[in-house]
Amino acid sequence: MLDAPLALIAEITHRCPLHCLYCSNPLQMVSPASELTTQEWEKVFEQGAKIGVLHVHLSGGEPLAREDLTRLVSFAHGCDLYTNLITSGIGLSERRWDEVVAAGLDHIQLSFQDSREAGANWIAGARAHALKLGIAPMIRRSGVAFTVNIVVHRQNVDHVEEMIALAESLQPDRLEIAHVQYYGWAWKNIEGLLPSRTQVFESMEKIGAAQKRLLGTIRIDAVVPDYYARFPKACMGGWGRRQLLIDPCGKVLPCHAATVIPGLQFENVRGHSLEWIWRESESFQKFRGEDWMPEPCRSCDRRTGDFGGCRCQAFMITGDAASTDPVCSLAPAHGLIEQQLSRVNSIASPHKPATEQEEFWVYRSQPK
Amino acid sequence: MPLENTSRPRLAAGCRWAGEGENRMVVFPEGALRLQDTARAVLERCDGHRTFEQIVQELEATYSASDPVKIRQDAVAFLERLRQKRLVDF
Repeated sequence: MLDAPLALIAEITHRCPLHCLYCSNPLQMVSPASELTTQEWEKVFEQGAKIGVLHVHLSGGEPLAREDLTRLVSFAHGCDLYTNLITSGIGLSERRWDEVVAAGLDHIQLSFQDSREAGANWIAGARAHALKLGIAPMIRRSGVAFTVNIVVHRQNVDHVEEMIALAESLQPDRLEIAHVQYYGWAWKNIEGLLPSRTQVFESMEKIGAAQKRLLGTIRIDAVVPDYYARFPKACMGGWGRRQLLIDPCGKVLPCHAATVIPGLQFENVRGHSLEWIWRESESFQKFRGEDWMPEPCRSCDRRTGDFGGCRCQAFMITGDAASTDPVCSLAPAHGLIEQQLSRVNSIASPHKPATEQEEFWVYRSQPK
Repeated sequence: MPLENTSRPRLAAGCRWAGEGENRMVVFPEGALRLQDTARAVLERCDGHRTFEQIVQELEATYSASDPVKIRQDAVAFLERLRQKRLVDF
């Protein structure tokens, strides 16, 4: 029997005041004019709750760019959905925060780009770091569950101890140290973002020590990035198995990056019910279950745990979305990952000085 | 701080009950927990009002066929584990 989707990621807008070099949004962004209306989002939440969704993750772009955010939180809360706001914090005034909290927000995830202001602003392409520091105390005071998220990569992962200290000063319930995943804009910038092996494993050691020290106070979540792991991540908990993502214009996707896979048609909530899209649509069935799997996945004991890894990554690197995720050490195409890593690990200094090679980087643009 | 008899355990910020009957679960930022009998019986009593001592007494009354020492040990281990995951505070 097909399970219900547990989590619905609502990318309510692609507008964002930041231009992060690793943004996971697609390169082709949805224009503000095509965004779903308030009523359309409400209908989506209602349908989601009916088919078993528990969590709504309000994301973007920057969800605060939508003026109706409070109303969307309130509506989702009214459907007994767990509401999570994933935000840069830019645009969160005290008054607005009070309104969102009163509307029933369950959790907020506030992102930081670095522990150091200059580096953070450089990555974000905006003077955002000080603003974020300014609103964190307001969030903490409200009592709403609070996660600090810091995205790490070759340019900043060496500051991981500073990042943990920063998080401690902000007193969140949880700190997520997330390695960049190479989709969207991050894929364009992979040569400058992929960390060295030494960086990854040294930082994991420091994180491990902090996890022990802060046990019971701040929970620190961090995993070895998939390029350096032996086996792939269980991307989205399996294709069309646990989660779905709705883009700003209502297109329903099995994951953030799915539109990179050619030949798949993704249905829109404007044309179909969420239940039909989840259960019946071709795109959700395409890589659901095990029938699509090639060897070595098909006979692998791990197939029920990692589901063959990420379909988008498989396509981006091998050209075939139905191949084993090449980050898997058992994948026929794993050599491509090894080549990439040996290139990265042969760079004498892991840092590519930002100032020297500005043209090297591609900043996330704005939807038009 | 270790769990004491006078502690008043409660769901941590961002964790709450959702759903009805068999589908009743604790939801938290990254997921949800569906709990089996005793675990659910413990957590449902973690309302920030009852002390740990009261919770254990209620469990002993409900599960009178079980060894009270084991009930207490299991409850301590369970709540410590949930606290480390930041699902419970006390």
